[in-house]
Amino acid sequence: MQTHYIWQYIPLVLQILVALAMAGGMVAASFFIGKHKRTKVKLGAYECGMDPVGDARGRFSVKFYMVAMLFILFDVEAVFIMPWAVIYRQLHTITGQRLFGFWEMVVYLGFVAVGLFYVWKKGILDWTNTSSRGDL
Amino acid sequence: MLAYTIYISFFGALVVLLMPKGSRMAIRTVALLCAIAGFALALTAFVQHGTGELTTVALAPWIPSLGIHYHLAADGITLCLVLLTGVVAIAGVLFSWNIEQRVNEFFAFYLLLIGSVYGVFLSYDLFLLFVFYEIVIVPKYFLIAIWGSTRREYGAMKLAIYSFVGSAMVLVGLIAAYVVAGSHSMDLAALASYRYPLHFQMWAFPLVFTGFAILAGLWPFHTWAPTGHVAAPTAASMLLAGVVMKLGAYGCLRVAMTLFPLGLSSWGFHVLGFGSWRDVFAVLAVIGILYGALVALVQSDFKFVIGYSSVSHMGFILLGLMTLNQIGITGAVVQMISHGLLAGLLFGVVGRMLYDRTHTRELGKLGPMNLSRALPFATVTFVLAGMASMGLPGFSGFVAELMILIGAWRVSPLLAIGVGLGIVTGVAYVWRAMQKAFFAEATTIIDPHPPAPITLPEKLGTGLLLASSIAVGLYPQMVLRLIAPALNTPLFSGLHGGGW
Amino acid sequence: MSTNLLALLPELVLTITGVLVMVLEPVIPAGKSRKPLGWLAILGSLLSGLAAFYQLQIVNAQGTLTAFYSTIQIDPFSIFFHLLIAAVVLVTLLGSLDYFESPITHAGEYFALVLFGAVGMMFMTSSVELLMVFIGLEISSISTYILAGFRKGRATASESSIKYFLLGSFATAFFLYGVALIYGATGSTSIGPIAAGLAITRTPTMAILAVAMVLIGLGFKVSAAPFHVWTPDVYQGAPAPVVGLMSTAPKAAAFAVLLRFLFNGTPMLHGHWILLIEILAVASMCLGNLGALKQHDVKRLLAYSSIAHAGYLLVAFTGTHQNAVAGACFYTATYAAMNVGAFLVLSQLSGFSERIRSIEDFTGLALKRPGMSALLGFFLLSLIGIPFTGGFFGKFYVFSGALQNGHVWLGIVGLANSGVACFYYLRLLAAIYSRPTSDSVAYIPVRKVTAPAAVALAATALATLGLGILPNKLVHLVERATPTTTAAVAVQPTQQ
Repeated sequence: MQTHYIWQYIPLVLQILVALAMAGGMVAASFFIGKHKRTKVKLGAYECGMDPVGDARGRFSVKFYMVAMLFILFDVEAVFIMPWAVIYRQLHTITGQRLFGFWEMVVYLGFVAVGLFYVWKKGILDWTNTSSRGDL
Repeated sequence: MLAYTIYISFFGALVVLLMPKGSRMAIRTVALLCAIAGFALALTAFVQHGTGELTTVALAPWIPSLGIHYHLAADGITLCLVLLTGVVAIAGVLFSWNIEQRVNEFFAFYLLLIGSVYGVFLSYDLFLLFVFYEIVIVPKYFLIAIWGSTRREYGAMKLAIYSFVGSAMVLVGLIAAYVVAGSHSMDLAALASYRYPLHFQMWAFPLVFTGFAILAGLWPFHTWAPTGHVAAPTAASMLLAGVVMKLGAYGCLRVAMTLFPLGLSSWGFHVLGFGSWRDVFAVLAVIGILYGALVALVQSDFKFVIGYSSVSHMGFILLGLMTLNQIGITGAVVQMISHGLLAGLLFGVVGRMLYDRTHTRELGKLGPMNLSRALPFATVTFVLAGMASMGLPGFSGFVAELMILIGAWRVSPLLAIGVGLGIVTGVAYVWRAMQKAFFAEATTIIDPHPPAPITLPEKLGTGLLLASSIAVGLYPQMVLRLIAPALNTPLFSGLHGGGW
Repeated sequence: MSTNLLALLPELVLTITGVLVMVLEPVIPAGKSRKPLGWLAILGSLLSGLAAFYQLQIVNAQGTLTAFYSTIQIDPFSIFFHLLIAAVVLVTLLGSLDYFESPITHAGEYFALVLFGAVGMMFMTSSVELLMVFIGLEISSISTYILAGFRKGRATASESSIKYFLLGSFATAFFLYGVALIYGATGSTSIGPIAAGLAITRTPTMAILAVAMVLIGLGFKVSAAPFHVWTPDVYQGAPAPVVGLMSTAPKAAAFAVLLRFLFNGTPMLHGHWILLIEILAVASMCLGNLGALKQHDVKRLLAYSSIAHAGYLLVAFTGTHQNAVAGACFYTATYAAMNVGAFLVLSQLSGFSERIRSIEDFTGLALKRPGMSALLGFFLLSLIGIPFTGGFFGKFYVFSGALQNGHVWLGIVGLANSGVACFYYLRLLAAIYSRPTSDSVAYIPVRKVTAPAAVALAATALATLGLGILPNKLVHLVERATPTTTAAVAVQPTQQ
């Protein structure tokens, strides 16, 4: 008898169930076992150190955003190195040249480095200097 | 050689534009010389050309892959109209001798207009014809918008929009004709010899005919004409009434009627008594004649009188075309020439001789000025021109209107009666305007600032236009010898039917 | 040089120059003029144009080039657009050199962003794989989003940038969704296999939906109604040279993608998408022209006019494949020449401050700036479609293509629209020519037109005139530019 293909998903379902049980169990355990001191900070929503409730026109430094943006950019750029590294050993058979894949990555990292250089020269990494030219 | 009429005008426009700003006299002279050169070329061709048959003037490939050629040619009709353009162009320069403001640009636009008009008349390739036809709009617009008078921007805009809509209709029809014939050629003769299916001609003909007729002042699309004429400076209204409106009529005859002759045939059914597009346009033309004349009869602005009289006279032309017999169509062409000369003259009298001196065009205000004594030359000119446009024998108008009347009678006595009424009303409005402006009860107060005397350029221009009109009136054979053979060329063979 | 790099040569040149400009920007001390960077960018765009010419020689000799597993295809079609984009960028850069009144510290980024945008646009026109197209689309869009807000500190500039960004991302999402659906329907995102897949697909509904989605996404980019609402606001706030650029080059690229996708990718669905195209064309022409009637701000007026012109361009798509390609290519070229020219005049009149902006400001301009007025007048006449300008022949060409395929009513609607259009162009012309000089014109000091700007203006004017008087050369070129689906699409990395 041929099994229906849906049965192939059984391990996945089991995995999900175990994960749910683990997470739920841990939360429940800490709820029952742990001590509870309800302070204002502890009950507030976790929002990167900022008070989530208040005047919408509150001021804060634009540098937070700058850094966040840069982090995301470089993070995404770094992610691309991962698949490259995984298939690096097979790359020469795909491209037909021995070091083509290697040089491709060098060029790519060159671009990342140029970006870093630009950001640096623009003074965006300079957190303290108020006279920086961070006028992106 | 005839092609040089276009080049000289365009080149003259460029020269005038680049001349130093202060040299007004030099600029005028250059413009006049260009106009005279064009006239001389046209006259030479007119005299030399014996038969009225089609002769090619210039032929060169332009956009070969689309079958578009730079093809200029002339037959008898073209020659007459080119000569008319030459005459009116000279008179126009002479009548705008007193332009002081932005002279360079004025004459540049003026010559551009003249050159494009020559171009339309001479083009034998429909793409080329349309190119010139649409270029005409630009200088026309600027001449009115910059140098015009009463409500100039409104008048200019109205004229431009009517022209654009008309030419858009023409363009759709032309492209359709080009495509249906197989997209090989834009040549007029090639397309005219193609046998378009009847149902295609039935919608293409009214589209193209109306498109052109808008510029010829076809009722009810005539309203741009009076406002445009009134707003325009003298030279522009002379050209507008004299030659630009003729472009529309010429397009109707040369393009719409030769390309789609079957569009004029019977629908096979009747709606409100109309059995074909021919009936529709003929009746619209008669309405135009009567409406224009009646409205002219009640105007208080002198220029509006002339403006509406133009609508009325253009109605004669369209009616002449719709008679579809040789005498009627010949009459229409003669009327194009006649009205071109006379409308030019009338606008010259009202716009230049009177308005520039008295600064009013109100008939009621002109009357007390005792103009028949103060400006006798203007008075005589207007009387002569008025009589000519009434259709008095001896002037060109008589020949034209008589031929159209005979042509119309052959088609339907009813139409002829309408035309007759139009002629009678024509007498009335000319008479009324003449009476009110020149021969009204003079006031006893003597004007401390009598109007300046008529200048030499004005006299020359008047003489030229009047002489031409009388020449055609006394010796119509001069133009008829060219028009008749032209109408018998293969181009018009589609029209040769029952009443021809 | 490997074929891959050769196929990307113009883009490579632009990228390298762009990066160079960007790196040099922070190195130049604050307060110093950024003009040398501008010249560098100009050199780059010139070189990329030459590179495209070089590609043309090779393609003429060896036939179509493909690269990167046939996701890039260099044929006369893509080279035509490469040349067009390079030319638009070159002219825009020339016109922008002296646009900034005082040395603004970030002017270098402006030049770099223009180049990066051009890379994306070129990439779009040579890709025959929709995901590659998407990458090009994003590169060009992101650059133009930033450029739109370049007049920092002004509310209209921020509005322009944010609006363009938000609506633009939304539209790209539509495009991406369309690509996903087409993959679902045909099993591929490459133009050739899509056509092959559609021939045997049993889910045409999904494919039709996909085409509609792609049309929405690209319809936004070309500002076709009803996806046009962003256009007036964005054009109003963006710097004038940038508007000249972004109203022509990205549109040309998007039209190129549409031409490839619709005619080469989904010819099976011609009966379905032709209807959508007709609706878009009629809506764009009518809404564009009617919207322009009431405008007072000249940039907004030209924005509506650009919506209308997108409509005229879409009319070209109703012709046969060859007619559509020829008509659309010719019209994009003429539109680029006249519209870039018009915006260059605007940018030169009052510079970065853009103080001459409403029709009232333009009254009597002819008396004070006769040369600039004549140029602007000429470009406006071309936009109306007066003969002896490129605009006229473009319209003639497009509409004869549509009529050839039997779309008579579309021709009538289109040409009736050009009657409406003449009103608002002439209104501006009347203000410039027939009235006494306005206060704003009289009191704003005359900006001298510098040599590079004069070259740019002359180039656009000559191109507009040349395309009107002697369109033959370009007609000959675009009639042979019909792209084919190359057979070399066998390698399909996306297919299992």
